[in-house]
Amino acid sequence: MNNLWQYRVRNLFSATIIALSFLIVGVFFSLSNNLQFLASQLAENMVVAFFLNPGISAREQARIEEAVKASPGVAHVNFVSREEALARFQKSFPELEDILKNLGSNPFPASYEAVLQKKVFLSEEALGLIEGIKALPGVEDVQFNRDWVKKMQSLSRLARAIGFFLGGILILASFFIISNVIRLNVFARKNEIEILRLVGATNTFIRLPFLLEGLTLGVLGSALSLALLYILIKLFPLYLGQSLGVLQEFINLRYLSLSQCIGLVIGSALMGLLGSLSSLSRFLKI
Amino acid sequence: MPASSRSSGLGATFENIVMIELYHISKQYQEGQWALLDINLHIKKGEFWFITGPSGSGKTTLLKIIFREILPTRGQIVIDGINILRLPDHKIWKLRRSMGIVFQDFRLLFHKKVFDNVAIGLYVLGIPVKEIRRRVFNALRLVNLHQKMWEYPSHLSYGEQQRVAIARAVVNEPQILLADEPTGNLDPELAFEIISVFKEINRQGKTVLICSHDKELIRHFGDKILFLFKGKIIGKEVQPFSRK
Repeated sequence: MNNLWQYRVRNLFSATIIALSFLIVGVFFSLSNNLQFLASQLAENMVVAFFLNPGISAREQARIEEAVKASPGVAHVNFVSREEALARFQKSFPELEDILKNLGSNPFPASYEAVLQKKVFLSEEALGLIEGIKALPGVEDVQFNRDWVKKMQSLSRLARAIGFFLGGILILASFFIISNVIRLNVFARKNEIEILRLVGATNTFIRLPFLLEGLTLGVLGSALSLALLYILIKLFPLYLGQSLGVLQEFINLRYLSLSQCIGLVIGSALMGLLGSLSSLSRFLKI
Repeated sequence: MPASSRSSGLGATFENIVMIELYHISKQYQEGQWALLDINLHIKKGEFWFITGPSGSGKTTLLKIIFREILPTRGQIVIDGINILRLPDHKIWKLRRSMGIVFQDFRLLFHKKVFDNVAIGLYVLGIPVKEIRRRVFNALRLVNLHQKMWEYPSHLSYGEQQRVAIARAVVNEPQILLADEPTGNLDPELAFEIISVFKEINRQGKTVLICSHDKELIRHFGDKILFLFKGKIIGKEVQPFSRK
């Protein structure tokens, strides 16, 4: 600790660089968490809507209803009439009332809403079910949230991959920074090391303080990055304001999970330790 | 490193245990140039030796070989019964703990107080703080600097700084004390004072080896003198009894 304090400017600088590197990793992980959360929310609404042709015959409708109900994996089925669909729209978007009035007639088709079982929703079985019913006469269109869920999930994976990629590069840079800071510290304490060797200090005794310094810098850097990330997450929505409406949810970053935080700190500590070790093996010949 | 338990406390030439044995030691830094050539020397426990000779005669090289800072090109060295050339690098600390080393340039840590400079040899041994305080105080009292324990070395005179370095070298009670031109930077009066301290340490049974080219000092204090010239021993002078 004394040694860290003695070269505080240099050490603080390197801890800040490490913190910024880990902050970028943190932001992407947070974004990924957010998309994952949205995907899981969408997945909770496990509904397939089969829109019916306006000119459908009663026989065709009955066949469709029968087919939907008989499908394995369907928990239950709701029929939404054209009037009900219109009422839902009016309730959800009262500001668009004028457009509807101008249209003069009800533009919404009737539909069957099939609520799927969770295991079916995320499996390929659901696609087969939909294709089978879509082929029946009288089905005009199918709306299935799963595509959105999948899009969200792949976006989340993309954010995480970018996080790993950028993070990897920046963490490597941090590794070299720590390695160089320890090298400078070794040079700065050359006399002390020399004297320690002469008075019979073991290699471990001489190396340990440097290893602890690397470890502390790593932990300090990651702790600082977690604090910065927290501030960023709290300030970001305030900065953007409420004007984004629906998009607000995309921007509302979520903080890292406990396991992610612990992983970040452990990873950073490990990087500090390795950076220090690599420097000692090159510059501290005992 | 097993230290002999038979310490007389009366000093030089009292015991017959051989502490340092050099067999045909040669050192070559560059092709064709021998820094040391075929040095044979046996130093007994409790003896006080001066190694002297002009610059470049090999005094410092000889000392460095004894504390295994460098390896000889040829020959063997036995310290307190152990062939130190067979000691692996990661075990050198064992040899160093049996020795105290003093340099011409003191090698003090100027950002640490006198106490910490002396205590550094005890920190590495993992000795309890209370015991460290006691031993540091005793070592500083030996060199008559216990009053300045909490000062920084930069506030001390050159002579005092060298005495701090001596206190550091003896604080862990080593069997052997090596000094490379310990009075090189000091005026004659201070030089006499410093060698008197080494003599006092020698009287406590420690083996002392001092490299110096100060003829006046050697004439005054030298019991046993090794003369080196161009890496070779050109003479030895051994007094039967210790001088002051």
